[in-house]
Amino acid sequence: MALLNVENLTVGYKTKTGLLKAVNDISFSIEQGRSLGFVGESGCGKTTIGMTLMGLLPENASILQGDIYFNGSNLAGLNDKQWRDFRGREISMIFQAAMNAMNPVIRVDEQIIEAIETHNPEMSKTDINEKVKTLFNMVDIPKDRLKDYPHQYSGGMKQRAIIAMALACNPRLIIADEPTTALDVIVQDQILKEIKKIQKELNTSVVFISHDIAVVADVCEDICVMYGGQIVEKGKREEVFKCPLHPYTKTLLASYLSLDSDANIKVPEIQKAPDLITFNGKCCFAGSCNCCTAKCKSHSPGWVNMSETHQAFCFEDTLKKDNNGR
Amino acid sequence: MGTRKFIFKKIIEITIIFFVILTLLFFLFRLSPGSPISKMVDPGLTLEDQVLLIEQLGLDRPAFEQYIIYLKNFFTGNLGSSFHYGEAVSSIIMAKLPWTILLFSLSTILAAYAGIVLGKISAWNKGSALDNFLSISALICHTLFIPWFALLLLWVLGFKLGWFPLGGVLSPEIWITGSSIPLKILDVLHHMFLPLMTLFFIHLGSYLLLMRSSMLGVFKEDYIITARAKGLSEKVIRNKHAAKNAALPVLTSVGLSLAFSINGGALTEQVFTWPGIGRELIFAVSNNDYPLAQACFLLIAAVVLVANLIVDLLYAYMDPRITY
Amino acid sequence: MSQNQHIERFQKGWKIFIKNPLGKTGVTLLLIFMLMAIASFFIPLIDPMYDPMTGIDPLIKTSTGPSMQHFLGTDNVGRDLFAQLMEGAKIAFIVGLSSAFISIVMGTVIGMISGYAGGMTDIILMRMADIIMIMPSLVILLILASLFGQFNIWIIVFIIAIMRWPAVSRIIRSQTLSLKSRPFIEASRVAGASNIRIIFRHIMPNVLPLAFLYMTFRVTSAILVEAALSFLGFGDPSQVSWGMMLQWVWKSGYMFQAPYWMIPPGLCISLLTLSFYMLGRAMDEVLDPRLRKEEEER
Repeated sequence: MALLNVENLTVGYKTKTGLLKAVNDISFSIEQGRSLGFVGESGCGKTTIGMTLMGLLPENASILQGDIYFNGSNLAGLNDKQWRDFRGREISMIFQAAMNAMNPVIRVDEQIIEAIETHNPEMSKTDINEKVKTLFNMVDIPKDRLKDYPHQYSGGMKQRAIIAMALACNPRLIIADEPTTALDVIVQDQILKEIKKIQKELNTSVVFISHDIAVVADVCEDICVMYGGQIVEKGKREEVFKCPLHPYTKTLLASYLSLDSDANIKVPEIQKAPDLITFNGKCCFAGSCNCCTAKCKSHSPGWVNMSETHQAFCFEDTLKKDNNGR
Repeated sequence: MGTRKFIFKKIIEITIIFFVILTLLFFLFRLSPGSPISKMVDPGLTLEDQVLLIEQLGLDRPAFEQYIIYLKNFFTGNLGSSFHYGEAVSSIIMAKLPWTILLFSLSTILAAYAGIVLGKISAWNKGSALDNFLSISALICHTLFIPWFALLLLWVLGFKLGWFPLGGVLSPEIWITGSSIPLKILDVLHHMFLPLMTLFFIHLGSYLLLMRSSMLGVFKEDYIITARAKGLSEKVIRNKHAAKNAALPVLTSVGLSLAFSINGGALTEQVFTWPGIGRELIFAVSNNDYPLAQACFLLIAAVVLVANLIVDLLYAYMDPRITY
Repeated sequence: MSQNQHIERFQKGWKIFIKNPLGKTGVTLLLIFMLMAIASFFIPLIDPMYDPMTGIDPLIKTSTGPSMQHFLGTDNVGRDLFAQLMEGAKIAFIVGLSSAFISIVMGTVIGMISGYAGGMTDIILMRMADIIMIMPSLVILLILASLFGQFNIWIIVFIIAIMRWPAVSRIIRSQTLSLKSRPFIEASRVAGASNIRIIFRHIMPNVLPLAFLYMTFRVTSAILVEAALSFLGFGDPSQVSWGMMLQWVWKSGYMFQAPYWMIPPGLCISLLTLSFYMLGRAMDEVLDPRLRKEEEER
């Protein structure tokens, strides 16, 4: 059985202009020890997924529909206290270091120790200290920097410390939300290696959220491409990158490749992000799709299976038209 | 830069500022109507004493020489003698200073502590009835006219109910008969209660409001989400992660609102006839006792500068990001 | 921006402002005090007995409680307390508004010069501002009173203004600094405009709205300092201010016998301060969208 199973999840934000469905009817699952990447432009709902899995949605947001099964139990029904007990122990999160994710007035080691203390009240002080040292060792931070304050760390070190923090209670699933954004390329590479290494060593599952396809391609075995609060394509890494199905995936890959090489690929312009409040009963990408048909504007698309693992959220006709067009 | 160097630099800065204040005061003194001698020398003294004092203060010399003598006298602690008391003003104000420091520091510390705790609770329960009650009360405390509030307390708790003495700091019967020390302390506390409450409530309001808005700002910080993600309890997040960061701006405001506090302190001392520096200054001004007024003023200026230095140092101690 | 857009923006701001409970209460209170101040001009016309300073009820020898002739009673020499209270509102507005206006003009000019000139001028002016900012204004007024004797109301207003410009100038200075590097300033400098012309023609119109926002806070502190000074007995003896009324009730020994005399002036000072404070907070919310958003989320 899969470690995490998300079924028909819809998350809405109450806003002044109406209900905004940031995540709309998505389903995915992840096995123990595997890594799943969510990729998409900003505002497509990927961060909302992470926050939903952690039970950290802001006050004006709520799960409207759907179930989240983690190791057999449904997270959607947890109360505050159960969530607190669960967070950090079963699922933990790697935040973006550039985003002030560490408390500036508390020493780094203390910020890790408190996580261990909360979830393992029976552990002795010396055991905890031992554990912290092991963690720092694992993420390659010298021991003499344990007692520093976050501002004394470099960006890369901060990110490592945050990884150590996420690993503190041996969680079974780690959600990494843009963990390498705002780091320079070399440090970014080191951090990604670190995450891969740890994942292999500890056999944890990782949900990796990023807008950067290259990063996701580097780390993840399975990929979900998101657009407008929906998953538009999912599959194994090779499948999605070698033969993308959905027009949006193609656009995304093309824009990345055009930056990468001189390859003469025409990048279709994405006109505007869909209005997540109003669109209903049509394909969310219809406005920007270059092979949009009348059907796309009047009907909601369905899943088109390419292989057992590779699927796209589109119409078969449209996909065909798209393939012929290229 | 090391801490010691920072303190050294600050002390030099304060000295320069103080020197400027001294000089300005001297200018104003010379500019003001009436002769310097009539301002500084009590006409009630014997002729010889008057001559001696004029000589000592250099009042018969040209203005520049007089200025040098004024500076020299200041640094040797010779600020002239009070008309009213007939004593050296330095000894008078030194006797008053402890009372002011006692009242002032106790009320500031209590108010800052209570303000931080209540502001924290208020922000945490934002929008609740408790929050509304606390912030409206704080707003009212913050805008109350201090002497009026003091008079009200005095009228209700002192006069009508008779729970507290109407003024002063000691009951003669307890101090003359040589009672035990705890009884004496209790007596002082009994006298101090009303002025303490006045200053406490006035300051509580502003600290509470500040802490509340500071907390609300901190809640939006990413490290609060991190703390939640670790599964910490709400209490730990509030008291450890949020409050510590939120208290920093409150501390800064203690320094910035010092001027306001001193104004309030003087008014409170006056209403409750508390024998402190503020009341002494008011007394000196109404009795045309310039030497005494000058000494009180300079002492208050010095206290303001030193207190600001202390706040700076405390801030640097609390916020690890600040390195000198 | 066109005239229409200005009006539109103002209307939108006003709507947010008046919907805010703080703004609503503040404006209501302030209107009441304004009516009181206006009333002060007419009360002595009814009967010279109601002149707040010189009008004495010949039938009354000592302080009496509220009656039909005297709504709030009289003080110990038979002057009408209600008339004094109205007069006090007028004085409070005169003191508060004029002192705030002077301090804002000073703060704006100094802030603009400091920000525009930079270098040594900037350092000296801002150090000066720092020192003045931490000095207790009441204590300064007291030492000046001991040197120069009793002040009249305008000198008090002016001294308070001098004590209050630094906060304004700090804000204006940072605003000027950001304006200084804007293209239109560069352009006029290249076109050969003099520094004074640049400051007054181009920078001033841009910082003035900000300066007047801070006026509400300056108004309250001026009223409070004047009231405190009068309460201590160093106010202008020819003016009836609320602080002066408190001084009279306190000095005459009636403070425990005549609550009808002691309570109104202090209450008025506190409420007027409160109303200006609420006004300032509500205005902040209009101008700061971040604060406003927070309210909407609630």
